[in-house]
Amino acid sequence: MTTSTLAPVATGTRAAERPVAVAIAAFLGLGLLFMAGFSPAIALHNAAHDFRHTQNFPCH
Amino acid sequence: MIIRLLSAALAAGFLAAVVVTGLELTLTSPLIVAAERYEHQQTHQAERGLPIVLAHAGHDHAAPDAAPEWQPGEGLPRMAFTALATLVGAVGYALLLGAAILACGREPTRQVGVAFAIAGFASVALAPGLGLPPELPGSEAAPLATRQAWWVMTAAATGMGLYLIAIRRSLIAILGGLVLIIAPHVAGAPQAPEAASELPAALAAQFAARSLAISFVFWLLIGLGFGWAWQAFARGPARGTAHA
Repeated sequence: MTTSTLAPVATGTRAAERPVAVAIAAFLGLGLLFMAGFSPAIALHNAAHDFRHTQNFPCH
Repeated sequence: MIIRLLSAALAAGFLAAVVVTGLELTLTSPLIVAAERYEHQQTHQAERGLPIVLAHAGHDHAAPDAAPEWQPGEGLPRMAFTALATLVGAVGYALLLGAAILACGREPTRQVGVAFAIAGFASVALAPGLGLPPELPGSEAAPLATRQAWWVMTAAATGMGLYLIAIRRSLIAILGGLVLIIAPHVAGAPQAPEAASELPAALAAQFAARSLAISFVFWLLIGLGFGWAWQAFARGPARGTAHA
């Protein structure tokens, strides 16, 4: 029993870290995309204008 | 894993943004600038009073009724902001791609990255583009909020549908996935009003084709780059510090 503790602990921490990493990446990714593609602020819209049109984000 | 995911997404986003910014500036930005001339003609001919249109009329400094909203100057500043927006969008998509790969329990390699990237392209470019084709400034379109809502719902439903079909793979899941993918198109995208646009159809068609092609390259590079960077960061010092 003591011999097999190391490996499960190692995989346990990795398995626990995965959802956190996924959540952080998803949150950051959605935030960046909102800023670049959806933000209604006119200054942001004008700055990202050509990118929004090219990537087919609904614009104006 | 968190640091590795964020680093790989940054690397992939940067790689994709560098190439795609070049494509945007050579292929689509000139068409947008050309279309804005027609847009200005339209706004001068008939004032529709839409604040969104007025914001664009700000390109023309002679427009008396346009609020002086900030916008990048013509030429180099505008290109620089297009590049910046492309970088922000690319890193955002790369983060979502990485999150999707890990959430599905896959090991990010270049092959897996490309497979998920094609799904990403289908979800956010192809499926929304079926109902709302990539459009130039000055095209007629339904109100912005309804188009954005339809866009987001279609992208989410297509992504979820592809997940059910490609990852879940049971009969029920595949049927449910097909329903999810088709439903937004059965419901229908918000339709543009019938009014004729001054914009030449050839210009709009060329723009739509180029836009989809650029999106495809964008996603391929994000997927390839993410798979490559994820593997590369495992061999580097990241592995040593992760266990320290």
